[in-house]
Amino acid sequence: MTAQDITKLIVRTSMGDRGAFDLLYRQTSAKLFGVCLRILGDRAEAEEALQEVFVKIWTKADRFAVSDLSPISWLAAIARNHAIDRIRARRQPPLDLDAALDVADPTPGPEAAAVAGGEIERIRLCLDELDGDRAAAVRGAYLKGESYAELAERHGVPLNTMRTWLRRSLMKLRECLER
Amino acid sequence: MSPADDNSPDQGGDDILAAEYVVGVLPADERRDVAARIERDPGFARLVDGWEVRLSPLAAAYPEVAVPPAVKAAIDRRLFAVPAPTGARPSLWSSLVFWRSLAAAAMVLAAAVAVAYFVAPPSGQSAQRYVASLAPQQSDVHYFVVYDARTQDIGLSHVTGARPEGRDFELWVMEPGKDPVSVGVIPVGQSVHLAVAKALRDRIAAGAVFAISLEPPGGSPTGQPTGPVVASGDLHNV
Repeated sequence: MTAQDITKLIVRTSMGDRGAFDLLYRQTSAKLFGVCLRILGDRAEAEEALQEVFVKIWTKADRFAVSDLSPISWLAAIARNHAIDRIRARRQPPLDLDAALDVADPTPGPEAAAVAGGEIERIRLCLDELDGDRAAAVRGAYLKGESYAELAERHGVPLNTMRTWLRRSLMKLRECLER
Repeated sequence: MSPADDNSPDQGGDDILAAEYVVGVLPADERRDVAARIERDPGFARLVDGWEVRLSPLAAAYPEVAVPPAVKAAIDRRLFAVPAPTGARPSLWSSLVFWRSLAAAAMVLAAAVAVAYFVAPPSGQSAQRYVASLAPQQSDVHYFVVYDARTQDIGLSHVTGARPEGRDFELWVMEPGKDPVSVGVIPVGQSVHLAVAKALRDRIAAGAVFAISLEPPGGSPTGQPTGPVVASGDLHNV
């Protein structure tokens, strides 16, 4: 299924087309479940989150029109943000699933390869321009939904230092990506 | 960290805040504030979208994981009406999703209104005639409705969708935040009529919403919808 096909499904979903919504679910739920599971680290909670994500997709599909994201990236962003909101709302720190689920580098899946092309390589190169620790912090935060507090603990630095680090890293990253 | 530190211009201000939101590192309360700002500040929302675009290639690292079938069923239960447990009102009637989906139905209606206009060109009393296309909601039930305020008559043209054995279709008029009011059980037939009760006349005007629910024979025993909504649409002047 091409990006254009997924776009059509999102647009039809925004018009209340349940058939399109069902097909969109079939085409994208495995990826979005991967996102939820990676961040939440718990199957039952990830399933619950995925339900909420698709409820959001049904109600907010019209917003896709104002985003510059590719359709699958837009869907993944909804899932990521929702899963992160959920994990932040937890009282307990997230389960440490690094050993079980660690994914160190962005490896393009077939759909990502088609959509993203050289972009994955580009962000990899730009992350490589950062110090090793900082690249890992950006990547870990993005993929696992780690908070400043968790990153600070992991890297053994005060929270403010972590925040300064990450902000500088993000500014550098933006500079590099816009070069 | 004071809020001033968080957003000081030398730290990148709004753009860096957008980046932090997208990366996901902010604590819960700050995420809530940022999410609220995205809703009301389109300029800021663009900054967030820019960062989503910039970082989205990283998401390629998320693996695809098969989802248990029960999840989709649960989503459908949440989004689309299913028969409520006895005594309880279907949540659909107060659901934002439902009211929003009417916006989509309205688009379909625009075409229907155009058709109606040519089929029945407006006469002197045009302001008193209304049409609605009751589009399917999780069903294939579709009715076309013409309401004549002068004669207090609702004409229903059955487009598609059979009623299940032993069930009736009941027509309701709805307003947000109020309980639905029954117009009556829709008689069986291709082209049927319902008389509008006097008490209902003020509630049926342009902008009112008609919905059809599936009910036990003879209509809802409670005076409120008990079954799923199978079709709905809003009323337009012809």
